[in-house]
Parts: sequence; C-alpha cells; structure tokens
Amino acid sequence: MKGRLIGGLIVFALAIAATLIAPNTYYLFVLGMVAVTTIVSVGLNILAGLSGQISIGHAGFFAIGAYTGSLLMLRAEWHFGLAAVMAAIAAAGMGVALSGPALQVSGPYLAMVTIAFGIIVERVLIEWVGLTGGFGGLSGIPNPTFLGLQPALRESVLLAIVLAFLSVVSFALLKRHAWGKAFRAVRDDAIAAAAVGLNPFYVKVMAFALSAALTGLAGVFFAVVIGFVSPDSFTFNRSVLFLLAVILGGLGTAEGAFIGACILVILPEFLHDFTDYQLLVFGLLLLLALRLAPDGIASLFSRWSAPAPAVRPLAVPPDLPSFVAENKQRSPLVINNVGIQFGGIKAVDGVSLTVQPGTIAAVIGPNGAGKTTLLNLISGFYRPRSGSIQLDKYSLNRLSSRQITDLGISRTFQATRLFNTLSVLDNLRVALVGKRLGLVLKALLGIGIAAEPEPALLEVLSFVGYRGDVHTVAANLPFVDRRLVEIARALVTRPQILLLDEPAAGLSKEDKRLLAKLIRRIASSGLKVILIEHDMELVMEISDQVLVMDSGKAIALGSPTQVKQDPKVLAAYLGVSSAEAELSRETIAAQASVLSVEKLTTGYDTLQVLSDLSLTVNQGELVTVIGANGAGKSTLLKSLVNSLPIWSGEVTFLGQPLLTIPAHKMAASGLVLVPEGRQVIKELDVIDNLRLGGFHRQDAHIDKDLEQMLDRFPRLRERRRQKAGLLSGGEQQMLAIARGLMAKPRLLLLDEPSLGLAPQLVSSLYATLASLRDEGMTILLVDQMAALALEIADRAYLLETGQIVRSGDARDWRNDPEISQVYLGGSVSQ
Amino acid sequence: MVFKPHHRTVGQKGFHRRTFLRGIAGFGSAVAIAKLTGCTPSTSEGGSESGGEPLKLGLIAAITGPSALSGESIKRGLEVAIDEINANGGVMGGRPIELVIRDDESTPARGVAAARELIEREQVAAIFGGLDSPVSLAMLPVLHELETPYMGVWAAATGITRNDFDPNYAFRVSANDNIVDSFLIRYAKEETGASKVGLVLINNPWGESNQVGFEEWAPEYDVEIVGVERFNDGDTDISAQLGRLQSSGAETLLLVANAAPGAQMMRSLERLAWDVPVVSHWGISGGRFPELAGEETARKVTFVQTYSFFGEQSPVGERVLAALQEKYDLAGPADILAPVGTANAYDAMHLMALALDTAESVEGVVLREAFYNLPAYEGLIKTYEQPFTPDNHDALNEDDYILVQWDGDQIVPVAS
Amino acid sequence: MWPQLILSGMAIGSMYGLVALGFQITYAVSNTMNLSQGAFVMVGAVICYCLNIAWGVPAIAAVPITLALCAALGLVIERWIVRPFARKGSQSWLLSTIALGIIAENVAMLTFGKEVRGYPSPLAETTVSILNFGVFPLEIVIPVVGLATAVGLWLLFNRTLWGKAFRAASENPMTAQILGIPVTRLIALSFGLSTALAGLAGMLIAPIANVSATMGTLLGVKAFATAIIGGLSNPWGVMVAGVLYGVVESIAAGMLGGSYREIIGFLVVIAVLAVRPNGLFGRTNIKKV
Repeated sequence: MKGRLIGGLIVFALAIAATLIAPNTYYLFVLGMVAVTTIVSVGLNILAGLSGQISIGHAGFFAIGAYTGSLLMLRAEWHFGLAAVMAAIAAAGMGVALSGPALQVSGPYLAMVTIAFGIIVERVLIEWVGLTGGFGGLSGIPNPTFLGLQPALRESVLLAIVLAFLSVVSFALLKRHAWGKAFRAVRDDAIAAAAVGLNPFYVKVMAFALSAALTGLAGVFFAVVIGFVSPDSFTFNRSVLFLLAVILGGLGTAEGAFIGACILVILPEFLHDFTDYQLLVFGLLLLLALRLAPDGIASLFSRWSAPAPAVRPLAVPPDLPSFVAENKQRSPLVINNVGIQFGGIKAVDGVSLTVQPGTIAAVIGPNGAGKTTLLNLISGFYRPRSGSIQLDKYSLNRLSSRQITDLGISRTFQATRLFNTLSVLDNLRVALVGKRLGLVLKALLGIGIAAEPEPALLEVLSFVGYRGDVHTVAANLPFVDRRLVEIARALVTRPQILLLDEPAAGLSKEDKRLLAKLIRRIASSGLKVILIEHDMELVMEISDQVLVMDSGKAIALGSPTQVKQDPKVLAAYLGVSSAEAELSRETIAAQASVLSVEKLTTGYDTLQVLSDLSLTVNQGELVTVIGANGAGKSTLLKSLVNSLPIWSGEVTFLGQPLLTIPAHKMAASGLVLVPEGRQVIKELDVIDNLRLGGFHRQDAHIDKDLEQMLDRFPRLRERRRQKAGLLSGGEQQMLAIARGLMAKPRLLLLDEPSLGLAPQLVSSLYATLASLRDEGMTILLVDQMAALALEIADRAYLLETGQIVRSGDARDWRNDPEISQVYLGGSVSQ
Repeated sequence: MVFKPHHRTVGQKGFHRRTFLRGIAGFGSAVAIAKLTGCTPSTSEGGSESGGEPLKLGLIAAITGPSALSGESIKRGLEVAIDEINANGGVMGGRPIELVIRDDESTPARGVAAARELIEREQVAAIFGGLDSPVSLAMLPVLHELETPYMGVWAAATGITRNDFDPNYAFRVSANDNIVDSFLIRYAKEETGASKVGLVLINNPWGESNQVGFEEWAPEYDVEIVGVERFNDGDTDISAQLGRLQSSGAETLLLVANAAPGAQMMRSLERLAWDVPVVSHWGISGGRFPELAGEETARKVTFVQTYSFFGEQSPVGERVLAALQEKYDLAGPADILAPVGTANAYDAMHLMALALDTAESVEGVVLREAFYNLPAYEGLIKTYEQPFTPDNHDALNEDDYILVQWDGDQIVPVAS
Repeated sequence: MWPQLILSGMAIGSMYGLVALGFQITYAVSNTMNLSQGAFVMVGAVICYCLNIAWGVPAIAAVPITLALCAALGLVIERWIVRPFARKGSQSWLLSTIALGIIAENVAMLTFGKEVRGYPSPLAETTVSILNFGVFPLEIVIPVVGLATAVGLWLLFNRTLWGKAFRAASENPMTAQILGIPVTRLIALSFGLSTALAGLAGMLIAPIANVSATMGTLLGVKAFATAIIGGLSNPWGVMVAGVLYGVVESIAAGMLGGSYREIIGFLVVIAVLAVRPNGLFGRTNIKKV
C-alpha cells in the first residue's frame, strides 16, 4: 500500500508540474480532460467495479452535473465551489431516483434502464431549450476564482488534477473500508449479505448515489475546462467510452480509473490522422480487453506489488471466542405448526419443534422433505402461511430476514455462500459491521479502516478450526475451509440461534469428526443449534433431539435412539417391501458386460464426490446402487452420461470407451438416463415429451413405439394432450420412464425414481420396473428406497461417501440389518 | 437457467495477458512508425513548384459522424485550390500551403480542443471551419484569445460573423442564414404568392438558427408564419407535423434540412397528397436527394445555392470541375456531393492566399487587417471586390444566391 | 390524425418486434443475446443494397443470399464473442456484443461510406389511400411480414420436432442434452436465426428509411427496449410489446413533437421495468436458497 501511495504521489506531482509548465492551452486542455475523465472513471468504478452494477448511461450523470453547475454559475452567479457541490447533490439525487427501478433488475435489464436514462437525459437537454439552451448549449462558463486570482484555465486544471488525485485516493480508502467491502459483499451474494445484517437495497442505492455524485462533480469541472456545455458531449457513445475506460484500466481498481482515463483521452490525440478509425479502435480495444485482459491493465501492476504477509489465526484456539461467550439468552425457540406452500404443493405442513438453549436439534429426512424450507422459514427468507415461530417475546412470523438476524439468528447455507471476492477476514468483517455501516462519506475519508486484523475475529477463526491465511480470497479456499469460514461468519453476528444447513456434506471422516466437536462446543456455550444433515452417524452422535420430516410433514420427533428405532422413520428412508406381488426373481445366468466402470473419480469444482469407484452391469441384469443421501449416487449417473466431466477412471459401454461420446450423443449410443426429479419438459404435452425421447432416432417405428408406450401406461394415454407440468408426480415419473424407453436404450439408468412419490405410487413404479426387467431390459437403478430396490435387483452395490463399500447378490442383502444401519448411522463392517 | 456445457478449463490467463500486451505494443508502434514516416493520409502537401517552408493552414470540420460528407466536400474544395496555388509558387514568396485537418465530430468540445491544438502545436496561420454552426460559435472565443483568423466556408449561423468580438477575427465565404431566410421568404411571397407559410425545420442548431431568421423577416414581407414544425434526422414519418401545418392553412412550406431528412419530409408530403410549394435552404444539396426521395418528388422543391456545377460554367468553373473530376475520380457534376462546401471552400482558400500575400506575415493581427485590403479576385462563385469590410465579414450576399431545383440527378437553375 | 399515427406506429413497431424477436430467441435458450442486432439491421440492408442495387443481382437471389450471410455472421458471433464468456458464467457478453456493434458500424462507414443511399422499390414509390390517408404499400407489407414471421416462428416452435426440441432446451438444457438434443448447436442456430431476422428487418425498411451505416443503431436500442419490456420469455409478448412501443412513440411524436419520441418512449421503458422487473409478459421465478 505504501508503494502505491508513493507511486500515486509521484504521478500527482508530475501532473502538477506539467500543468504549471504547460507551454500552451492545448496541453492544459488535455491534462484537464484526463483529470475530469479520471474522476468520472472513479465514480463509475464504484458502481460497476465495486457494486457490480454495470451502467451504460453515466453520461447522463455527467450531463446533470455539468449543466447544473453551469446554470448556477451563469444564471445565478453562484461561486464555483457552491455550484460544484450543488451539482454533485443534484446528480446524486438523480442517482437515487434511478436506483429505484434499477435495483430490481440485473444483467440486460439493468443495462436497458441505464441506457434509457442516458438517452432521456440527452434528449431533454436538447428539448428544454429555455433552460439548457438546446443544441447550442451554455457557453461562456467562467473559470473559478481562486484566492482572488484572475480566473484562468491553468487554475481550473490544477483544481481538477487535485480533485482527481483525491478521488483516486478516496476510492482506495473506500475499498479498504467496511463500505467498500459491503458493496462487494452485496454484489457477490445479496442473500448472504442480508443474512449477516446488511441491507442490500440500501447498499446498492448508496453505490448509485455516490457514483452519480462523483460523476456529476466531474461534469462541473468538464464545463469549466471547456468553457461551455452542449448535448453533443453527453451521448450514448460517451457512456460506452466511459465504461471502456474503466474496463481497460481495471474494473474496481483505483489506479485503473486513472489508466483508463489516460487511454481514453490521449489515444485519440495520437490517432488524429486516423480519425475515421478512432471508434473502430475503441471498439476493438473493448472487445480485446474483455476477452484477453478482463482484469484490465492495472492488474498487470498488481503482480509487482508484494502481497500482504500471511496472517494465521491463533495457534491455540480459545475455548470459546468472545462472540460466542457473550451470548447467554435463556429463552427457547418455539416453532408451532408452521406451514408454507408453493403453487399447490405444501412444502412444509404443520411442523412443530421447540429448541432449548444449549441443545442441538437435528432435522433429517429424505430429499425434498422440506428441511431447508423449514430453515428458511425460521431465518425469515420465507414467511410462514400458517403457524407461528416464537423467540422469547418476539413473534418471528412477520419479520424480514434482516430483522431476524438482528434478533440473533444466524445461518449457513446448503451451497456455501461466501463473498467470493473478499478475503476470509473481510468476509467476517462485513458480518462484524453488519448494519452499522455509518456514513459513506466517512469511508471516503478513510475513517474507520482497521489496520490490523481484529483479534476477536482471529479468535473465532481459530475456534472453528481454520488454519490458513486470513487474507486468502474466499474463492481460493479449499472446500472444507469454506464451510468453516461460513460458520465463523455466522458466529460473528453474536447469534443466540445458529442454523446449519448440511455443514458436513462433502467432508472427509476426519473433518466431520472435528466439525461434530465444534458444533457440540458451540451449543454447550448456550446457543440453540438447529442442524440439517444427512450424515446419520454425525446426527445421532451430537443431537439432543431429532426431527424427521417427509414430504413436508413431521413424522417423528424425539431423542436419537428413539428415532432410530421408529419404524415410520425406517419406512420413510428405506421404503417398505411390496406388500403385494413378489417382485423378485430367480438368479439369472451371467451375461456379457454392458457397462464397465473402473476407478472412477470425479466431483464438482473442488469437491471430490466419487473416489476410485468400480462396478459392472451385465446384459439383462437389474443392478442397483444404494446408499445414504450425499453418498454420490446421482453424481455417478450424471458422470456416466457425460453431464459431469470425469476426473479420472475408465468407463466402457458396449465395448466402447464412454468418454469419447459427447453428452448429446449418449442417447443414440444406447445409454439412456431417466434423471433425478423426473425432469419432464413442463411446457410440452405428453406426446411431445415422448417424441423428444426418440429425438435421435431415424427409424420409422417411432409412432408405433409411441402407441406402445401409451398402451403400457394408460394414465398417460388419458392425459396425452396435457402439458407435462400439470401431471401429478407419479404420472410425471411414468412419463419420464416412457420417454427414456422411447430412445430404445441398451442400458437404462434410473436416478431416484421414487423421490417424492406417495407410497402406493412407489410400489406401482417398482412393479413397472420389475416387468421391464423381466422383458430383458438392462437397468442400473439408483434409489434411496433400499428395500424395494433390493427386491427387484439382481445385484447390488452399496455406496458410502463416494466409495463402493460392499457389492454382491441383492438377494443376500434383503432384510440385512446392516443396511439400515448405514442409512441411520453406523458404518458397514467390511 | 444458464447452460454451461462442461469444458475442461486450462489456466490460460497469463498467456492471454501477454498476447494482449503484445498486441497493444504492436499497434502502438505501428501508429508511431506511421506518424514518423509521414504516411498519414489527411495532410496534403503542395506541388513541387514551391520550395520554401510549408505554411500551415488548419481545417476543423466533421470528418466522421452524420455530417461527414460536408467535411469531405470542404476538404476537396480547399485541396483543389491549394494545388493551384502551390503550382503557381505558393504564398508569401514561395511557401507551399499545407493543410492540417482535424475532426470536430460535430461536437463543439472537440472543435475547441482541435483549435487549441492546431494553433498552439501545429502553428497554423488560420483555421477554416466546417458545417456545424455550434462548433464554429464555440471556437470563436479561443480563436480570438489566440488571435487567429477564422474562415467559415459553410456554417451559416448569423452570430459567427456578426459577433461581439472586437477586433473580429471571423470571416466567411458562405451564406448567412439571416440573409438566406430573407431571400427565401421573399421568394415565397413574390413567386409562389403565399401570405401564410409553414416552417418545417430539422431539429438541430441549424434549424433553430433559421427559425430565428424566418421569424425576423416574415413581418417585413407581410407574411404570416402559421406553424413551426420540428423533425429529427432518422424519422421516417413526418406526416403528423405536416398535417398540422395543412390544417393551419399554410400555403407554402419553408424547409430547412439535409438531404436524407429532407427526402423523408417530401415522402411524408406524398402521404398527405398535399400539393404545396416547397422552398428550401441548401441542405438538400448535401446528398443524393433525388435518389432518396424519388426523382419526381425531388423535382418539386426549389432551393438556394451559392454555386452550381451544372450547366454553363465560367472558365474558372471548368477548371475547377476538371480538377475535381481528375483528382477524386468523379464522373461528372452529379458526383460532386455537397457542392456548396466545395465551391465556398475553393474561393475561400484563394482569398486566404491573397490575404497572406497582402499581409506578408502569418501574424494573426496583421493577417486580419489584410482581409480588408484584398485585390480583386475572379473566383468561382463570383468576382470578389473588397469582399470584407470592418462592418461586413461575409463575402457573399443575397445577390450571390441562386435558386435551383433538381432535374433527374442534376441541379438546374429555376426559370424565374 | 389518430388512425394515421397508429398505422405508422404499427408499421415501425412491427419492425421493432421483428428485431426484438432475435433478442428473445437467443435469450430463451442461452440466457445471452447479441446486442449488436441493430448493426445487423444495417448489415442486412447494406449487403442487399450492394448485391441488388450496386451489382445488379436480381432481388430473388439477393434476398436469400443476404439472409444466409447474416445468419452465418450470427453463428460466428455466438462462437467467438458470446460463448467464451457465457461458458465462464461471466456477463461480459453484454459489453462485447455492444463493442461488436460499434465495430460493425464503423467498418460499414469505412467500406460502404458515410453517405445515405436510397433503395428504390416499387413498393415505396407512390402511396395508396387508406382511411383518407396515404400509405406506401411497403408500410402495409412490413407489418404483414412481421406477423407472418411471428406466425412462422410459432409454427416452428409448436409444430415441428426441432422447434419443440428448442423449447425443451430453453426450459431444461441439461435434460435436453440427455435426450440427445444438441443444445450447443441449437444455441448457435438461435444466434444465426436472430441475426437473419435483423437482416430481414433491414431489407424491409431500407426503401423507406434509406440505407446508411448508422441506420440501425437507434433502432437496435429500441428493439432491445422492446424485448426487455416484452419480457424475454415469450415471443408473442415481444411482438406485442414492439407494436405497442411503436404506437406510443408515434403518438408522442404526433402530439408533442419529434424529439419526444425517444423521451416518452424510454420513460415508458423505465416505468414498465419499475413496476414489472421481468417485463410485461415475463415470468417471475421463485427464489430458492
């Protein structure tokens, strides 16, 4: 930082010197324009660089500042300083007004709003001749008087340079201040920002106001340096060029604003003889910059600046960090009969739970049971339709998520939501400041910037077990550290209730053990902890009470031991064997291998899900892969159809290596997946869905096969002209299977077909699968409902945290108590 | 839902950055080399007859943007004149004239910047102006501050030459909107017999300036302006505005617009099937008006010019026409776009050369005075005798205007 | 005056809608779009002008060639300018297509020239009288073509298998791929289709609006506005929004004067987005955490 400041001061001194010795007004003019454009770039950088709202209409704010200042100086004869301040305020006001519609939109919609704004301002300037002088504009704008000196261009330019330097410095200060981090936090993840106490709307509006104010201020200087203003200077092209300058220089960097301004102003001076090509050059530069150097030129210099020295949290973690120790609330959280529905589906239906301080309540249940929705209801992300949530004397029903955070409820998210562009420490700092951001002007002055990492934050980081550098950018963290940092951040807001959504997912055994200890320790300090988890071992080990949900309802509530033995829970997880016809069949003779998987390893981004997995499926078999949630079953199927790239391993299908087949040619090669969640095309009707199933087929039998499908599934025939989105869950599942069959598969993959189906539908589903099997179809079935799957399967594999731990004849596994252990805690002995 | 077909990414950022830097460096050095070796297309050098140090004159006009044609036409007029002057030994005892051109992008801000640069860095002795009146008006303070003469060759706003500066450094060989407006209203009254006129003006400073002129002269000729309608370049349907003028009882329409918008206006007139005389400023000559409006429709407009390259030419005219055709590979007068700019610029450059020879100095103060003492000059548009006086900085007046109309793709004088 | 205002508003509005359809088609299937559509209106007009008028190729050949060239350029844009960003999840395709539009316009200025040229057409020479008002036959043809295109697209998406595959890819790209639908190729084709639509619009308006390098810029911005307020999820919504926008502009210009066209038009855009952030006919998504 010191180096940057010195560099900046040198440049500043050079600029001042250049201004003082400039031989003629032309050079003064160029210097003045560089200064003015730098100020605009800083302004735009705040909005686009920090706050992530790309504006293609900033010429509008520039114009408002220029005209307001000019009118005040010309018509009302205000002093320059006052006029400039007023101009900045006017522009800021416009920025706030524009942020109204702009806040609710993003991406192309936001671009449209800003473009429209810019064009409207330009046209109004042209039309409102009485005020703005129309096309002719306002001329004869006086230079500011300076300490009684004669106004001249040189003084104005000097002033502009000083202001430009100050604005660049201010930007750097802002970036290091909590406000700068708040801007980026809201940009990175508005939902997480709200969860730690920020008000995303307020922050975004501030960004607009600040950006507009600076740009408006630049506008006044522009008017003074040139001597007049006219609508020509404030066109759509100008807005695009401003953005180009910022991107070329380096979005979100202080130096970048200056570099971009230099290029924007000085490059045309070199291209005098190529004026025809000027805009072309700029267009090309923009394109190249976006493609090849998206971080801009300033990022090249960042390689030279030494990175901040690594700071690690305390070597010996405290027993309880101050954040956690401070909290001694005594009242329980009472959830009474809450419910919410989306569309016609009751995501949560009549759930009740009371959590005492110092205890851990776990919420478990199959996929889609409504666990995360319940958490969302508690944290205020959704409002309950029925029932109540009570904490002490507060009813949480009507409160927003920020108000709930205020009351002391903190959460983590299923997909870890960190502020990816901020460092670990800054992630926590944002939570530390929360809603007490203070005046943004203080940020510009650099008041309140923490020089050293706060000890309390270091404490909490070491408490959760984070051992790395606190200045690491969150995006670069290894997976387990992301989890830990998220928990640490949740603790910083001094919660009395901590909601954890699947914190152990994807962790190794050792990490899970440490996590369990951590959660236990947090609870023992007096917090109430509510935990969603799939790892039964973890749940049973640390929970004081367990709530089991299925299809939105609570089906069991009690201590871990009670719940483990509750037959309803077992049924919800494993399913029940079919009461009616026997679905199993005799052992069949071994056939040729259809699918052979060897040492498959893969995952998502940095998270490894499958390790060295091997299995085979032979012709005519029904093979099932069972395992608890999060074991990796769906990942396996996705990687087989090449929807997910494989990290290592070999897969052979019908003798061909599978990796050479692109994803959309899989169906044609005979490998057909019926995906998790049915995934019918809701917009299209049943017949179209079926037709698309046979999309790759060239043969003439498609219509015949379609008729056959409708025969096989009479309910589909009844509903054949209905949009697939209107079918019931069971019908959609039938449709998904029929669609898969239309592709004439050599191997049919089924991903959790029983998910979300009512029990009687599940049995008829399995009856269908059994008859398919009997007809000779080769099937690889993945399902949570182990009981039924084992009943119809010939062979089975047991998947646990990404590895096959057991394989063999399915008949041997039925009624094996060890299987239920895997699902409900306890590992399998080899 | 964003569809991201999976793709194994390889870290290539560093590579891309280097490529980018190399590209920038390459481009930058290309530009630098081009400048140094002087292969720059837009500065024209004189012939080899003259051997002294080049005398630089500047042109600030619209080279890019919607009015780019005007800049080109002015440049051509100047260059043909420069070729002649340099072939005859240049000015001030053997110095060839060198034209330095800057693009004002029709923007006053850029014009002012260019003026500063040309005067202070390139050291031009005088500056020729372009089409846009606001640009010229904006440049006036700078030109007067730096005591450099301005020679307008197109921009017709009254305030350019009739300004508050004393001494006045702005001269013009072009029409003066105020005078043109008087001319047109008189024509409307006397030749088309109208006592009520409607104004159809392009929505830009030129239109604005003419509105002022029309409103000043209408009462002088006992003509009532029943409506003032504005329209934009790019509008394809102006029938609403024209309809209003029709219902207000306009008997003749006065049009101020360039070729493309003027053509749209005439087409809109077709929609109303309103057979009304249309009298126009010279804007519609700056483009292929008959092609854009249709030949039959184009015929219906009577408009003003300072010069026409069609028909009988004087010896000067023949010479200039031949030079233009040869130098710019033109087939005939129909290919001379925006002839106004070319003709005005040609005469203006010759007058400038005469002023330089009279002044025998490039000092602005002296040069300015010289404009009042020019010898007679047989020019393209007319013979100039004492074109500039302290009270009048416009070389052309009402007597120099001619009324013309389109015939096919030719411009012919109106029989009056 | 009203019927004439509405008629001419519908004519230009259906052009906005036609170009806006291009935005909608690509956005539906890939969440990206080509913001240089306006430039492609110009490219279509310019190429057709060069073929038909400058080089004398008969219209019956010039039109399909122009469409094919525009489509080909669209494929190139998708592959080299949009896909590299979309793949990374970056929003920079927005700015790079804008940059492309600037480049295209300037290249046209350097090659086609800065002049405005007329495109003679028998449909734009004399007017016919409808409701006491003169209309060029082309101004009737334009909305008819717009409507026919909308109907044609509707038939494509609702009656052909490939059209349904396209809709499947829009709704659920992952599943579509599993079914064997080549989603990446469809995205590329959608870009080709959208630029072809823009080129078609350019050829249609050339006789009335005249051909110039800058003819498409403002039209492109307005078509973009149309697509946005129509809500990017529904082709009919976009078409209706286009016609509405054209009519609003026309009335504003007729009642208040020429320049209010843009002021009122864009104010309406901001107002619509303030009230319905997903456009008039767009779908709101339920947030999931």
